[in-house]
Amino acid sequence: MLRLLWATMTELSREEAYRRGVRDILPAAPGIIAWALVTGVAMIKSGLTIQQATGLSLAAYAGSAQLAALPLIISGAPLWLITLTAIVVNLRFVVYSAMTRRHLSQEPWFTRLWLAYLVADIMFVRFTTLLTQEPNYPHISAYYLGAAICNWVIWQVGSIAGIWAGSLIPSNWGLELAGSLALVALVVPLCRYQPTLVGVLIASLVSFIAYSLPLKLGLLLGVISGMSAALLAESVKPASRQH
Amino acid sequence: MNDFTVWWAIAGVAFSAIVTRCVLPLLGPRLRLSASVESSLQFAPACALAAIIVPDLLFEHGALNLSALNPRLLAGIASVLIYLITRSTLTTILGGMIVFWLTRSYI
Repeated sequence: MLRLLWATMTELSREEAYRRGVRDILPAAPGIIAWALVTGVAMIKSGLTIQQATGLSLAAYAGSAQLAALPLIISGAPLWLITLTAIVVNLRFVVYSAMTRRHLSQEPWFTRLWLAYLVADIMFVRFTTLLTQEPNYPHISAYYLGAAICNWVIWQVGSIAGIWAGSLIPSNWGLELAGSLALVALVVPLCRYQPTLVGVLIASLVSFIAYSLPLKLGLLLGVISGMSAALLAESVKPASRQH
Repeated sequence: MNDFTVWWAIAGVAFSAIVTRCVLPLLGPRLRLSASVESSLQFAPACALAAIIVPDLLFEHGALNLSALNPRLLAGIASVLIYLITRSTLTTILGGMIVFWLTRSYI
């Protein structure tokens, strides 16, 4: 990444691409900060220490996986299940990287890894938007780097502010619920695609029925049945695809 | 939940974030995802989140609270409705929390 950063600084047009990446993320800053604040507060209110919450935020940089892991950590779910759940929630990153790696292939492998690690939802959306508008944009990796770093900094600032705010707010406000509500706002728009809605409903139902299974296996069962139901719904009605 | 277990859990979540982001770039162009695999992957996050949120709203300390006056459940339902109307994450979280606080203190 340092080599790319150096190249970015020494070459004017790369620097322009980098700056444009930064500029394209700034309008989304209020949304990123609100989300990061809630994640920070929810981590503290679920019982993590300031060090643990900050460490989680810096190392994982994955808001929804962090929020999803909290109820599991509190209820003492086994480590493998927490990790597996976080992997499932993060599977969208695999889809993102399948798309972005085509455009970053000219970079050395170590740079590719760093860039891949920095992917996030908002910057990915901006990156794909730019590619649809200007498919042959030069210095696309510098643009990616600018957008990724800007997104990372905004997120971490919001998250750490939330962690400190959370440690000052009394626990009986029940603010950890805000984490689950933030996830609601993430899932509902995905349900516009009908097979996803089917999957979400089945996953909810099964995870509720199977809640008393040991080791939180009801969660796993819910995810598997939800995904199967969604695939089935998609194969029954493939023409309804909206995107 | 002791300190040690929590740090391991944190390492687990961090591991998940690194693996999902870096597995394809690390393997290079040799590994390609078929269209069907990619389309099934896209359902996973929504299903996983639903399977986490729903029990979190219905159960408190491991006990089922199906009462129509369960504040967490009411807040969850309200947040779905608020999102459908406003399409704003911030309003959804704030509105849901207000419903939670009101029902908790007045019902």
